[in-house]
Amino acid sequence: MSRNIRILTVDDSPSMRALLRHSLTEQGVEVEQAEDGEIALSWLASNEVDLVITDINMPNLDGFGLIEELRASARHAERPILVLSTESSAEKKQRARNAGATGWIVKPFDAEKLAVAVRRVIH
Amino acid sequence: MTAPFSRPMEIGSPRRKVTVMQGDACASADPAVEYTTILGSCVATALYDPVAKIGGLNHFLLAEPAGSRNETVVDEHFGVYLMELLINEMLALGAKKSRLKARLYGGANMHVHLKRIGSDNAAFARAFLAREGIALVHEDLEGQNARRINFKPASGQVRCTTTVAAAAPPVAPVIQAKSREERGDVELF
Repeated sequence: MSRNIRILTVDDSPSMRALLRHSLTEQGVEVEQAEDGEIALSWLASNEVDLVITDINMPNLDGFGLIEELRASARHAERPILVLSTESSAEKKQRARNAGATGWIVKPFDAEKLAVAVRRVIH
Repeated sequence: MTAPFSRPMEIGSPRRKVTVMQGDACASADPAVEYTTILGSCVATALYDPVAKIGGLNHFLLAEPAGSRNETVVDEHFGVYLMELLINEMLALGAKKSRLKARLYGGANMHVHLKRIGSDNAAFARAFLAREGIALVHEDLEGQNARRINFKPASGQVRCTTTVAAAAPPVAPVIQAKSREERGDVELF
């Protein structure tokens, strides 16, 4: 992947943030990180990224809330958003899809599958 | 990918022993529930929220022997996943991450030729808790003995007894191996 791809990862777990940073940086991606949906929203108000990868279970504003807020704004209406979650129920996936998510990745993530998904959703 | 391992709460039911297998994570606020598991090189994390009176237990084996006798490979992704699964199970019942207290058990180095496996599992668990800011209030790790854990999730009470090595489960990370091909599956909408 080229150097100019910039991704925001949103996850309240420092361990998961470290795994994501390591894995995406190895792919040549520039990685920005937020600890929950609220922090992600305020950061995105004044920054641009090619893709948002978000967890679901987070304090303050969870992944569903973050997707809904982003889709409500014209600036983020088309931005690819991938969910990365331990959850895998059809009901949760449908909720994310209805909120406007681009796709769903089940934890624990696989670095190669993640890299392929990133390439597919960023045009 | 196997679904999360939540179990229904049965308030007022008779005492119920639940065996927590390797690769499993469960949580409960039911005073009748008692979790039990036997650990060799595996590590179990017992988490407890003393305010909400909710407890949870996981059981994992991350390290496996690599090529040479003194090397091991630690599958950190699977470890972080099983810890997150445990924490999420507890949050879903009403626990708060900032209130969680952790106890760690297991991580025995039971065979000379596999000597680092238990210690590697223990090191991962300690490092994870430190990174996440979860207080480690007690640990009974490493050494050479297998352990039997009995944990009452609603009271947070843990009993750890040493047991014969033969009682401990085999050291292969069974569920981890099974899930490796399925892990990280991507579904684009």
